[in-house]
Amino acid sequence: MAQEKLLSGCAAAAQAAKLAEVEVVCSYPIRPYTAIMMELVRMIHNGELDAEFVHGEGEHSQLSVVLGASACGARAYTGSAGVGVTYAGELYSPMAGGRYPIQMAIADRTLDPPGDFGSEHTDAMTFRDQGWLMGWASTPQEVFDNTLINYRVGEDQRVMLPQMVCQDGYFISHIPDKVIVAEPEQVKEFLPPYKAPHPLSLTCPVSHGPQIRPDQGAPMDAQRAAVFLEVPKVIQEAVEDYNRIFGRNYDPFVETYMMDDAEIAFFVQGAHATTCKSAIRNLRNQGVKAGLVRPRWVRPWPTTQLAEALSRVKAVGCVETSTSYGGAMRGGNLIHEVRASLYDLPNRPLVTSFMGGLGGEVILLDDFYYMAKVLTQMVKAKKTDKHVYWIGFEEE
Amino acid sequence: MQAFDYKKQTLEPIKSLRSAPREEMYLPGHRTCSGCGPALNYRLVAKAAGRDTIFIGPTGCMYVANSSYLCTPYAVSWIHAQITNGGGVASGIEAAYKVLARRKKYDGPFPNIIVMAGDGGSVDIGLQSMSAMMYRGHDVLFICYDNESYANTGIQTSPTTPYGANTTFTPPGKLVPEGKTLFPKDPPQLVIGGHPLVKYVATTVVSRPLDLMNKVRKALNVDGPTFLHMLAPCPKGWKFDEKLTLEMGRLAVETGMWSLYEWENGEYKYTHIPKKYKPVSEYMKYQGRFSHLKAEHIAKMQAFVDEKIQKVKAIAVEAAVPTPKAGA
Repeated sequence: MAQEKLLSGCAAAAQAAKLAEVEVVCSYPIRPYTAIMMELVRMIHNGELDAEFVHGEGEHSQLSVVLGASACGARAYTGSAGVGVTYAGELYSPMAGGRYPIQMAIADRTLDPPGDFGSEHTDAMTFRDQGWLMGWASTPQEVFDNTLINYRVGEDQRVMLPQMVCQDGYFISHIPDKVIVAEPEQVKEFLPPYKAPHPLSLTCPVSHGPQIRPDQGAPMDAQRAAVFLEVPKVIQEAVEDYNRIFGRNYDPFVETYMMDDAEIAFFVQGAHATTCKSAIRNLRNQGVKAGLVRPRWVRPWPTTQLAEALSRVKAVGCVETSTSYGGAMRGGNLIHEVRASLYDLPNRPLVTSFMGGLGGEVILLDDFYYMAKVLTQMVKAKKTDKHVYWIGFEEE
Repeated sequence: MQAFDYKKQTLEPIKSLRSAPREEMYLPGHRTCSGCGPALNYRLVAKAAGRDTIFIGPTGCMYVANSSYLCTPYAVSWIHAQITNGGGVASGIEAAYKVLARRKKYDGPFPNIIVMAGDGGSVDIGLQSMSAMMYRGHDVLFICYDNESYANTGIQTSPTTPYGANTTFTPPGKLVPEGKTLFPKDPPQLVIGGHPLVKYVATTVVSRPLDLMNKVRKALNVDGPTFLHMLAPCPKGWKFDEKLTLEMGRLAVETGMWSLYEWENGEYKYTHIPKKYKPVSEYMKYQGRFSHLKAEHIAKMQAFVDEKIQKVKAIAVEAAVPTPKAGA
């Protein structure tokens, strides 16, 4: 039977990668994701997992190595954090455009300057438009589950896309929590072996990545965009199978908490959702009808599911854990997509954003109470005065 | 990881041009310039390596001018790498074939994995990735086809562009009369100098096809990372008459601008040494990239080459045709 263990997010990712029987693993150290690789190489050196462990000399090469491996039909795994994610920047588009379904585990970290180890989503969010599947887990259990779900979705012949499986640095990556580790038979039932449709082969020669003419560019871009219309269907199937085989209860796209009669909603990505749920329970005791909507994916962005989940509230507060300097709302990234998702609703809610958790700061219960106060005032006033509130920097 | 008997190939020596394989693995129909040295190199490398080969092509002339979508010249599998990461992509390919063979998902011969990188993709922006591949010991042949500039982007200087060359980033001017003021990097020495698992490094030139093909085979028979530095005269970048490509190769050797050697398990062996060196001006006078140089600049170049030749004389052991042998 599946065992319950106490695992950090990093250990959970490594356990899932082992069960996925990854074939080529490429490492480079950077906090806080490093422990994933430490775990995997330990397994490989002890003979628990037969895989090639390549120590890349940087994140750029990490992605290069797994690209080459995936092109030959091997299931490949890598990961990074913070400036490591940005250092690899050149490879994201070739990887997705070449349809190499490798997986990259990200335990996120604040970008420089100045040097800071704390969680912030800007590292991976910077590359959200390069054609990868991407989403944040909110618990070590979800890291484990997302690792397997992402391989299944990414390697599906209708999809064939690389995946960023993100977790908040430290909050998830380093704090052990109960994780049900699946049995190999369950994983076998859920995740078929990776089969590259056109591997670099000696018997059937192929060319990967030749140059195109400008007039061949638009059809290829259109194809890459069209794939994302298919992905939700594949996610739906995969998560339904996952729930059935592993006994989980995930919504494929968005988690909702106390949303049935909510008047104000927090929109939170990743680990801070856990604190947010506690805050909501306390707020409810004080008569504030608050709820939570948490996206399980950034790409594909769950537009219709979010619009449905937020269609009955009066105000939404996007808790931004990434930055978009000079962006339309002058704060983070999420609010842009949330507002766009809600635009066509007949009675769209008011939307504002809260900059919190930047640099890896904890978002406290009190911070959520403050946000609830702002949202409640917005509902009363029936308008949004501001698009962005910097938690702790606003005059009250 | 585990001990495993991979089906490594052994390529026989090619005794004469007449007995070279007829089969072409690099086919006509590409868009390289007429007289292109790198394309001739590619043809010989592919011919020597044969069918069971995978090429990695970092961005450069041999990517841009060869790999038109739906019409590539490769009769074997080929993958584009960024100009930055030929070594990294090759490492992943090698690792994949190893694990797939071990897990019994692949049963064929272990492929000849060859990176065909230009000078930029080898020892400029591609240096880190190449060096790490060699350090880790992947069974990959890394070839630097050296046309001594970023030719495909319009002839900009690279680390192997010779002193005195006029490129679009080293134009001669009143204050900098010679154009390029730096002397070139030495790619084989970079590789030999710091990679304990590299056992075989050699230089060759397109004008000596038998030497070139046998060095390719010898390198491929070595179990581990190997490096070949190939001079690839470039009519467009060097500004010489396109019918003189092979002649430029010959003159490079005859003047000492290019030397032909092998380095095997720590030992140097020169595969050809001219009886008497011609002056460098014999080589430079055909090339427009040097046409602005004054006598003093040519003298500086001659002094540079003379010093190189002294080194050759100190360790010269000749071997006319390199002989590939199995495993090393």
